[in-house]
Amino acid sequence: MQYLTDRLFNRIAKLSLDTAFAALSDPTRRAILARLALGETSVTELAKPFAMSLPAVSKHLKVLERAGLIARGREAQWRPCRIEPRALKNIDDWLNHYRCFFDESFDRLDAYLQKVQAQGHDKARDQSRIEERSNDQPNARNGKARRDKPRRS
Amino acid sequence: MTSQTPGTEKLAATSRVDLERDPRAIVGAREFAAPRALVFSAWTDPKHLSQWWGPHGFTTTTYSFDFRRGGVWRFVMHGPDGRDYQNRITFEEIVPPERIVYRHGGGDDVEPVQFRQTVIFEDLGAGTRITWRGEFPSAAERDRLAETLARLGDYVAATAQA
Repeated sequence: MQYLTDRLFNRIAKLSLDTAFAALSDPTRRAILARLALGETSVTELAKPFAMSLPAVSKHLKVLERAGLIARGREAQWRPCRIEPRALKNIDDWLNHYRCFFDESFDRLDAYLQKVQAQGHDKARDQSRIEERSNDQPNARNGKARRDKPRRS
Repeated sequence: MTSQTPGTEKLAATSRVDLERDPRAIVGAREFAAPRALVFSAWTDPKHLSQWWGPHGFTTTTYSFDFRRGGVWRFVMHGPDGRDYQNRITFEEIVPPERIVYRHGGGDDVEPVQFRQTVIFEDLGAGTRITWRGEFPSAAERDRLAETLARLGDYVAATAQA
């Protein structure tokens, strides 16, 4: 599904998806984002739940900022951190394309299966018969399978 | 499934994508009016795969296809805009006709975002249900990443509405 990534690269230039994913691969940074999803706050406030120094937290913030996932205010000394909805939107778009891949592929698969079944003599169907037979064998040996009541549909 | 008049069975036409019930991954399901072995076999041969793999307007050319555990499917997807997209799929688990697990991406020349895909084929009697589940990316943390992404997706949706 490289096309998914390519689409994103083409349509929304500047933000590199793999940079964003790399930034998100760290649990501390994900926790920071989860906190920021509740609203903007200061570095000091962000650092509180973590057993790490302010410089260590700042380092994580830099990675998130470089990936375009957060923005930091220039105002005042406390430089509030806030989540960057547009970057998150990009990721969300990617996820939508990913879902779309399956939706549309399965539309096509559905049509293909109908065609194959209509043709009847298609190789895929022969294949399915072979597989059905081989699947039945272990059950047949147990005296089950065929004698079972038909499955309710 | 509920009882149906013979000959009029209509299975669910659209995929269901559910982030709520399984927040660790992206999950979808789809039902097909075809026997499970046939649905499964559509995944086992590039001749079949090329008939349906990819969104509308895409075609697929296979370089190599090795359908077994550890085997690789190397192919290119041709987009409707004329662009080519290199792809690599590595099969991690194959249990005919029930389950296929593969890893998408891997290697400098293909998809930078890796993910693992699980495809379950369920016999419904009158048809087959495919349940797919994507976990990504390839890092050991992928489950929690997907969870975060799902949450962030909700956040984005909420922001967009606000």
